Amino acid sequence: MIPLEAYLVVGALLFAIGTYGALVRRNAVVVFMCVELMLNSVNLTLVSFADYLPGAMGAGAGYAILIIAVAAAEVAVGLAIVLAVFRARRTVNVDEINLMKR
Amino acid sequence: MSAGQQLLILAIPVLPALAFFVLALFGRLIGENAQYVAVFVNATAFIFSCFALFLVITDGPISFSVSWIDLGEGGSFSMGVLIDELAAVMIVVVTFVSLMINLYSGAFMEGDSRYAWYFAVLNLFTASMLGLVIAPNFIQLYVFWELVGLCSYLLIGHWFEKPAARDAAQKAFIVTRIGDAALLVGILIFWRATGTTSFAEISQAAQAGFIGGLLLTAALVLVFIGAVGKSAQFPLHVWLPDAMEGPTPVSALIHAATMVAAGVYLVARTYDIFVQSPAAMLIVAYIGGFTALMAATMALVKKDIKRIIAYSTVSQLGYMMMALGIGAYTAGFFHLYNHAFFKALLFLGAGSIIYAMTSYNIFDMGGLKRRMPITFWTMVIAGLSLAGIFPLAGFWSKDLIVAGAFEKHYYILFGMALVTVFLTAFYIFRAIFVAFLGEPRTEAARAAVDPPGVMTVPMVILAALSIGSGWIGTPVADLFGGFVTPSEFAAGVLAIEEHAFSYALAALSVAVGLAGIALAYAMYAPGREHVAESAYRRFRPVHAFLDRRWYIDDLYNATFVRGAMALGVAVREFDRRGLDGAVTGLGRAVSWTGERLRPLQTGGVQNYALFIVISVLALAAVVLGDALILAAGLLVLIILGSIAVGVRL
Amino acid sequence: MTVAFVVLAALTLLAGLGVVLSRHVVHSALFMAASFLGVAGFFVMLNAPVLAGFQVLIYVGAVTVLVLFAIMFTQRPQARSFRLILQRQHVPGLLAALGLGVFLAYVLAIQDWGEVSPGQGPRAVEDFGALLLGAGEYPDVFALLFQLGAVILLIATIAAIVISRRRREEDEL
Repeated sequence: MIPLEAYLVVGALLFAIGTYGALVRRNAVVVFMCVELMLNSVNLTLVSFADYLPGAMGAGAGYAILIIAVAAAEVAVGLAIVLAVFRARRTVNVDEINLMKR
Repeated sequence: MSAGQQLLILAIPVLPALAFFVLALFGRLIGENAQYVAVFVNATAFIFSCFALFLVITDGPISFSVSWIDLGEGGSFSMGVLIDELAAVMIVVVTFVSLMINLYSGAFMEGDSRYAWYFAVLNLFTASMLGLVIAPNFIQLYVFWELVGLCSYLLIGHWFEKPAARDAAQKAFIVTRIGDAALLVGILIFWRATGTTSFAEISQAAQAGFIGGLLLTAALVLVFIGAVGKSAQFPLHVWLPDAMEGPTPVSALIHAATMVAAGVYLVARTYDIFVQSPAAMLIVAYIGGFTALMAATMALVKKDIKRIIAYSTVSQLGYMMMALGIGAYTAGFFHLYNHAFFKALLFLGAGSIIYAMTSYNIFDMGGLKRRMPITFWTMVIAGLSLAGIFPLAGFWSKDLIVAGAFEKHYYILFGMALVTVFLTAFYIFRAIFVAFLGEPRTEAARAAVDPPGVMTVPMVILAALSIGSGWIGTPVADLFGGFVTPSEFAAGVLAIEEHAFSYALAALSVAVGLAGIALAYAMYAPGREHVAESAYRRFRPVHAFLDRRWYIDDLYNATFVRGAMALGVAVREFDRRGLDGAVTGLGRAVSWTGERLRPLQTGGVQNYALFIVISVLALAAVVLGDALILAAGLLVLIILGSIAVGVRL
Repeated sequence: MTVAFVVLAALTLLAGLGVVLSRHVVHSALFMAASFLGVAGFFVMLNAPVLAGFQVLIYVGAVTVLVLFAIMFTQRPQARSFRLILQRQHVPGLLAALGLGVFLAYVLAIQDWGEVSPGQGPRAVEDFGALLLGAGEYPDVFALLFQLGAVILLIATIAAIVISRRRREEDEL
């Protein structure tokens, strides 16, 4: 039997990888993918809890479905923003978009 | 006491106050008609006051009050009216003198640019004084006390275009303020110790032992310092002579009825409390006696006629204080009552001269006797009354005071008083002889004429009173002495005993007064200028000492004024260097830090995200700190390193 | 089981690293799809085949395709140098991410989860339906969340249309 902690550690590492990508990649689309990775790691953690913890009554799985829905919405809106930004500034490199400094 | 009567009595102070608001608000509309409003209001108030006096004579003291401020547990204050014999006489005097002065001012202030405003403040002045007189407790008294001070400031500085008037107004305000502050502290001590501010209740509390000994004496001395400030007693007398910069009728009002009388009245009002501290009484007596002598000597050498009269006021107020201090309560207040008439008259006479020739210097005058007969004779009457010559008004009260000092065995004070009588007679007749006898010294004096009727009529009325006001207190029929008496309690404490009228003492004081007049004639009568001249040469240092007012003003300048200025400069420098520097420095420090921190705000989204992650880690390190000191140290190292790198970017 | 776990973990994590490190954006997208597939495999192992189905449909299918469309719209020729695809803050980013991973792994590993055993969750589609609608023994709150999720999806659809729509003045450019 695979222990619960194994799944959790895989989720934590996937989350860290996603964080790393989100922090260092310049391309906004890739940053998006990394955020999706982080969401997936959370899903993985939730589902493993749902399967392992006796008192959870499978709540984690329900949350996972909701997260998938929210993530889908986020992808739709986020990619639309990326498209809009690209049209306005002809680039998707995050470090060239520093309007917040002005 | 019916409601109608109460309303009538309330109207006495309220009517002039109402006149103030009307004249202050609609002064431009009313213009020159302001004098009629003022005279009408004052005449009404005078009639009502006479009615109040009549009520007091027939029915005894009037007293009613309403609750004003309720502090719950902390007690309560009431606003009310207390008119006993003392206050009844006082309001009649105040309203009468005020009426005369309002009449006189109508002509004197003609053509003034702030005519209506002048009358407005004059009426507020009267209203405040009346409110002060009828106050049954310290709080109400203090409110009106301050109002009186404010009005004196406004009126002395009425011609504020003149720098001297401005300075005099400020001096009067600041010097009396010293006394006011002391008075407030005294009131607070009484309130703290006895839980009440009512005069009668404080007296009872003191008798019952709630306040006594040193604390009582201290509180009384503080209250007396308030009276010293208002009544221009030594050492706070310096403002009164300078207050001559105001319009002359204002001086008359201040000196006769409203302002300076307030101090004496305060001591008389709180007499039941004062008699319980013999030390405080002694202080009152000696301050009064000393002030009387000192001010009289200062008046000897003045050339400005208004200042001579001003010093005479200080001196006479000293008499009153002395009388109260030695226990001659009736005599002191009787003098206040007589003094109001002849002092108002003296000022109105001086005002007439100034009206005629716009100069204050008596050596610019001369020969005015022929040009201004009415002024001359009224001034002579007032002068004789002031000098205490039988049978004019001043004689009766002054003699009572001098005799009182002798009979109560205050021989030092008796000697001071007698010397003062001599000096008083000398200086006032010096002024009269120089100004009215001989030949005119200037063109203005040659062209001077008596003022119009509206000004002479009040003078004649006051002259009549200067002769006759004392006759209600003669030994033959001592109506005044039987009416205004110290309370039974005070009389008991002071062990007042009846003294037969001493003809020897009366003759002595009259003789001393006549001697003073004779000396003045010998030195200043026409053709005798060389006598005064040689006396001046012989006593030049003394003359300088007196002319510089005993150097008291110079002393104050050198110490308090300079000290205050130095303190002000120090505070300004501290403000500029210390506080300003600190504030600017703080601003600069913040600005500098902000400039250093600015690179942290890169504007890059991922940079912010990095800091968020780092912060989360830092928080995690804090949470797990206990178990994970090693890991935490490692994390901190990592974080610091990453921040360093991040900042460099 | 253990073999399957190791294979899936390796697939998921290596593909995740691939997303971050690959120089070509399209490769990143494909690595992402691989990583999603790995997670789907985990879902099967965790007795949630329904979720695995969702995962494949939505992530491996829809999201990946969407991302590829976005790449298609936004890619311009660019240098594929390794330095150019990364931010300037890549070293502190790496350190922070490492710290985060170590911290999370450590916390999750040392936590005492009590008596645990696999196979507790709902397996059948019917159970999932009941769970999502808060029916039966499941908590009511899911019914609310379900509706909220629906509303969010609707709003996101509209928002995406509004944001990405070309305005008329832009057409004239």
